[in-house]
Amino acid sequence: MNVSNETLPTAADTGAVPKSASYYGRPIVKPHVWKPYIAWYFWIGGAAGAASVECVCARMRGADALATVEKRAALAGVLVAPVLLIADLGVPSRFINMLRVFKLTSPMNLGSWILTAFGGAIGASTFAELLGWKRTSRALEVVAAGLGPALTVYTAVLVADTATPVWHEAGDTLPFVFAASGVASAGAVGVAFAPSQQNGSARRLMIGGAIGLLAAGAAMEKRLGPLLGEPYRTGTGGSFRATSGALSAAGIVVGLLGHKNRTASRLAATCVAAACVLERFAVSAAGKQSAQDPKYTIEPQRARLNARRDLDLESSG
Amino acid sequence: MSGLYDETAAEREMATHTQQESRKGFFTDTTLCIGCKACEVACKEWNQLPADGYAFTGNSYDNTGELNGSTWRHVAFVEQLRSGALAAPAAPPPQSPAQSQSQSQSQGAPTGGHQVVHPDAGRWLMESDVCKHCTHAACLDVCPTGALVRTEFGTVVVQQDVCNGCGYCVPACPFGVIDKRDYDGHAGKCTLCYDRLQDGETPACAKACPTESIQYGDVEELRTRADARLAKLQREGQYTDASLYLRDTGDGIGGAGAFFLLLDKPEVYGLPPDPFDTTRDLGRLWRHAGYAALALVGVTALAALGTRR
Repeated sequence: MNVSNETLPTAADTGAVPKSASYYGRPIVKPHVWKPYIAWYFWIGGAAGAASVECVCARMRGADALATVEKRAALAGVLVAPVLLIADLGVPSRFINMLRVFKLTSPMNLGSWILTAFGGAIGASTFAELLGWKRTSRALEVVAAGLGPALTVYTAVLVADTATPVWHEAGDTLPFVFAASGVASAGAVGVAFAPSQQNGSARRLMIGGAIGLLAAGAAMEKRLGPLLGEPYRTGTGGSFRATSGALSAAGIVVGLLGHKNRTASRLAATCVAAACVLERFAVSAAGKQSAQDPKYTIEPQRARLNARRDLDLESSG
Repeated sequence: MSGLYDETAAEREMATHTQQESRKGFFTDTTLCIGCKACEVACKEWNQLPADGYAFTGNSYDNTGELNGSTWRHVAFVEQLRSGALAAPAAPPPQSPAQSQSQSQSQGAPTGGHQVVHPDAGRWLMESDVCKHCTHAACLDVCPTGALVRTEFGTVVVQQDVCNGCGYCVPACPFGVIDKRDYDGHAGKCTLCYDRLQDGETPACAKACPTESIQYGDVEELRTRADARLAKLQREGQYTDASLYLRDTGDGIGGAGAFFLLLDKPEVYGLPPDPFDTTRDLGRLWRHAGYAALALVGVTALAALGTRR
């Protein structure tokens, strides 16, 4: 259970001093224990939130078919999301404990409330529509759209609010990665399923979102610096991220060139959606990698300590 | 009726901790640890925690490996030996304590424990690790169910009947202490033997420790004791590289309820050199999330503008 195959050479083995001393190369912080359900949820929840905003925007300019597609996407999202979240719990029967407190210091608790309220609004809006209460339904769509952006970005705060090095240190840029992924996915849904005479805004959203995803991802990696950027360039995290980037680029190109062709448009939408999913898996995998190697914990903390000590020396000298 | 009222008042007092106890904790003095692992065994016995299976890590005498959901004490073994010291003990060049000190400082790693038993062979560091019971505890802050609570003893405890096993506390802990258990799905970690404390007893590990390397008591008193111990070691010149870890309340976790006297840098024992409660940055994180949410709405509205459907 606790077997580690990793051992750093000790001073005794090499006669030299190891660069970053650690305890047999073992992790200092624990990697997250979430199953792939959670990465899927990050994508689905994020897309549902952005879809609710696009739904209202489409409604306002009379593109009702597109609005309906986006609303169905949001509804599907909130139906699947709790299943994924509950499946990941260690004690699924206690899922409701998420709502036994309202706790500002816990992004997961706030997120549970956001998801509950958002799901309630989208669900009630759909129900009202079935009953033929058009105005109530539209009003509830606006309520959902008010909560949607929070649903899309809170998961970035959730992962950044940990001791996982590449998550915490990317706290300023990660929400933009998640927002771009949500926007691109909502756009892709519109492009794939709405009638082509109504999906112009969805196409712009899909392509703009995919460009934003590439830009925000690059900004995040730059912000993380050479050391902490490593988990996004190597291993599983690196593979996911590289594939995601290639699919985004492919989606942008195909989406721009083939905008008059239904099949090409759907291909582009698939590429962009897959890129968004893989970006979430890249974040999950890179987080795990950065926790598993103690150098990502030790070296930034050492640097911080040294900087503080230099500052103290300066101010005292 | 008055009897009923009294009972309710007593219950209320318990629930709100109006009867505040002084903060309790551990001072683990690694200079006294002999690596017997009695703390590990006593903890497992008292808290009825399952064994971790038979594992051979090859890392000195440490086959426990790490703290996790069912291992709440972990003795770390660090062998700092000179090259070839065990094969052919050679007499080292004579060094003044000042020289050897500056050498071990500049290289940051083992140059040999000077005045220990075998001055030429090196030294063997042992440290019994445990949950730090942080003043600002990330696990408690991020817990979405309120299963993690602060007790009347100032300790941090998982309520096993509330925890739903979401696993958020696991990556949040800056020390990698708390973990989710496979066998019941809950998160688990040291409770500072909450049940024993309620009866005025010493936690099992401290009770079992034969050398008083693990000292239990009021945190304030332990801090005084640790300061005195450090001063004594430095005065006597035997452990000039000793330092106190997590004793300072000005650090990123506001000081710990369980702190340590170490003989090398924290990372050598598998401890973070500058731990912090991630929640201290939560305001900044939400602010940037707010900007991203605004950007999302702006971009979506913009895409809809000026469109012919």
